[in-house]
Amino acid sequence: MDSLRSSSSFFDREKHVVFLQMMNQLLPSDYQGQEINRLTLAYFAISGLHILGALDEVDKEEVSSWVLSLQAHPRNEAELNNGQFFGFHGSRSSQFPRDDKGVLIHNGSHLASTYCALAILKIVGYNFSCINSKSILTSMRNLQQPDGSFMPTHVGAETDLRFVFCAAAICSMLENWSGMDKEKAKEYILNCQSYDGGFGLIPGSESHGGGTYCAVASLQLMGFIEHDILSKSSSSSIINVPLLLDWSLQRQAADGGFQGRANKASDTCYAFWVGGVLRILGGYKLIDKKALHGFLLTCQSQYGGFSKFPGQLPDLYHSYYGFSAFSMLEEPGLIPICVELGIADIAAIGH
Amino acid sequence: MEWKEEGEERPLSQRPEWSDVTPVPQDDGPNPVVPIAYKDDFTETMDYFRAVYFADERSLRSLHVTAEAIHMNAGNYTVTLSNLDFDFAENLFLENEAIGRIASRVEAVVWHFRRLILEALNADLHEELNFIKKVANGNPKNYQIWHHRRWVAEKLGSDATSKELDFTKKILSLDAKNYHAWSHRQWVLQELGGWEDELDYCKQLLEDDIFNNSAWNQRYFVITKSPFLGGLEAMRESEVNYTVGAIIAKPENESPWRYLRGLYKDDAQSWVNDPQVSSVCLTVLSAKRNTVFALSTLLDLLCHGFQPSQDFINAVDALKTPDLDQSDSNLATAVCSVLGHMDPMRVNYWAWRKNKLPAQTA
Repeated sequence: MDSLRSSSSFFDREKHVVFLQMMNQLLPSDYQGQEINRLTLAYFAISGLHILGALDEVDKEEVSSWVLSLQAHPRNEAELNNGQFFGFHGSRSSQFPRDDKGVLIHNGSHLASTYCALAILKIVGYNFSCINSKSILTSMRNLQQPDGSFMPTHVGAETDLRFVFCAAAICSMLENWSGMDKEKAKEYILNCQSYDGGFGLIPGSESHGGGTYCAVASLQLMGFIEHDILSKSSSSSIINVPLLLDWSLQRQAADGGFQGRANKASDTCYAFWVGGVLRILGGYKLIDKKALHGFLLTCQSQYGGFSKFPGQLPDLYHSYYGFSAFSMLEEPGLIPICVELGIADIAAIGH
Repeated sequence: MEWKEEGEERPLSQRPEWSDVTPVPQDDGPNPVVPIAYKDDFTETMDYFRAVYFADERSLRSLHVTAEAIHMNAGNYTVTLSNLDFDFAENLFLENEAIGRIASRVEAVVWHFRRLILEALNADLHEELNFIKKVANGNPKNYQIWHHRRWVAEKLGSDATSKELDFTKKILSLDAKNYHAWSHRQWVLQELGGWEDELDYCKQLLEDDIFNNSAWNQRYFVITKSPFLGGLEAMRESEVNYTVGAIIAKPENESPWRYLRGLYKDDAQSWVNDPQVSSVCLTVLSAKRNTVFALSTLLDLLCHGFQPSQDFINAVDALKTPDLDQSDSNLATAVCSVLGHMDPMRVNYWAWRKNKLPAQTA
């Protein structure tokens, strides 16, 4: 028997919980290259346990303290307005204490880390009125570019739809849209819609499952498109919905899995990215759930977790999106997710 | 500026040029969530990196330590999990591209500091392009590397144009769908130029693999944005001819069908009225093989007011299976029924489409 292939024909919830607990305990040194993304990894582990109905395993106080310790705080009003972003760091390695004169030289706050931090705090039920959200929202505007896109840090980096999504999700979770210019962001998103109906990560680029998720989820969060638009009789929308729907459904390949782009191989995570788009549009019922279920099980590892492709070894990212996909398939024992925020429904609406 | 000196394998703590530096350890604080099991050399390199970063020392040795940190952080190497009480037979590895999609990669700070040093030293940026090329070879899907490359190219300006086009071409020759390479290439064309041969390049890639959706996307990018071509409308006729040829060759290929529709972006009426569009559908339907996209295109045409001739009705009739309603005179509903059979993965969608058909569709 091929040792890499899963021996089960069912979603093995118990094994997945053990897998995540192992990740939570100690990540193997191979993940050391992801040092600055420690918050992201924590999000996968904690949100994963939540979706699997195993959040009791997590010490919520401990997690909250750790997450909050990664927040960058401006010392005063002047510092808040000096152009930096005051959010959350990905990890301790980008975080330095202030120097002798109390100046914060090295602020490695990152938009994606901030999204993950807030998501985790939502999941563990932290009281959001205790969060210093003003500095996050005020300084976040410094990251938005003239074309509406977002940089992830103020030190300069690539801009694309991923960070527009992070910004929208942050504002949504903080219930305060002063952190971004929604109109500008909308314009940028619309510029990313490709000739085939999907969205690329930047204007002009190939339509892509992840980019399409970021686009549609952002528009939904910002209130520019209605939820379940397909069942509404009004036919007008700022995006070409029929083309988007057709493109998204075509992403389900012959093996039942979802691909990220036309003529590419199916990959576990697109069951969430593209499945999520369909769920937001109200078209999830149109997919072949049985075929997807079958494909995903071929990516389930006998060690717990999910891999990108069938028969490979699992990793934390594909495991998390595999669990999310099974939640969308209404797997018994899993809790429902709020697709556009990437956390459980119950976390999104508050405990 | 060699990133790793020949034979220089000694730990930093044992190298004389670093003897005056006190390494700065990472302070994880109590109870870190998802603690990572570090290897000793990684820990040491990052401790020295933190030292010069914190001191803002923009020197040659700082440049070297950023190179070492990059080498370690950008690794896609595997390690055994023997230190864990688990019965693994193989190695566990992380999908770097996937992680990169959610958050910036670990070297964000390292690369940023490297840029500050390069500026302070007024470094030879052509050399830097070589450094990037070496690092990119092992990590073609690393966001930081591509961003750094763009920063260097931006500083070099049009001096870098041909190098950048060559570099992306090289990466694409190994993986013709590398998303980063395509984004970078598009940026180069728009900012630095070099459009002259781009349409040819797309043609070449499509000859290699007509299913390469990235190449189709690039083709669209070129015909709409190249200052040497006339823009979408001017290019439409020749592009329709090209695309029809691609469809006939491989009717099961989604890309050219989407591209054909894209050629009429924002002008659905012209798309409906172009006889070549409906005619390629008819050709494929009549051949009775790989008809799914031809059928769905016909359905879309009908929904946009296309008036089908008897030929279309006959062609769709010929595809009906015995269990379908043979007397169904409504072509659009017939097409939906046939699609439900030909494309079972999307049976729910075709049923939904049938349900949504306006009463007066042909």
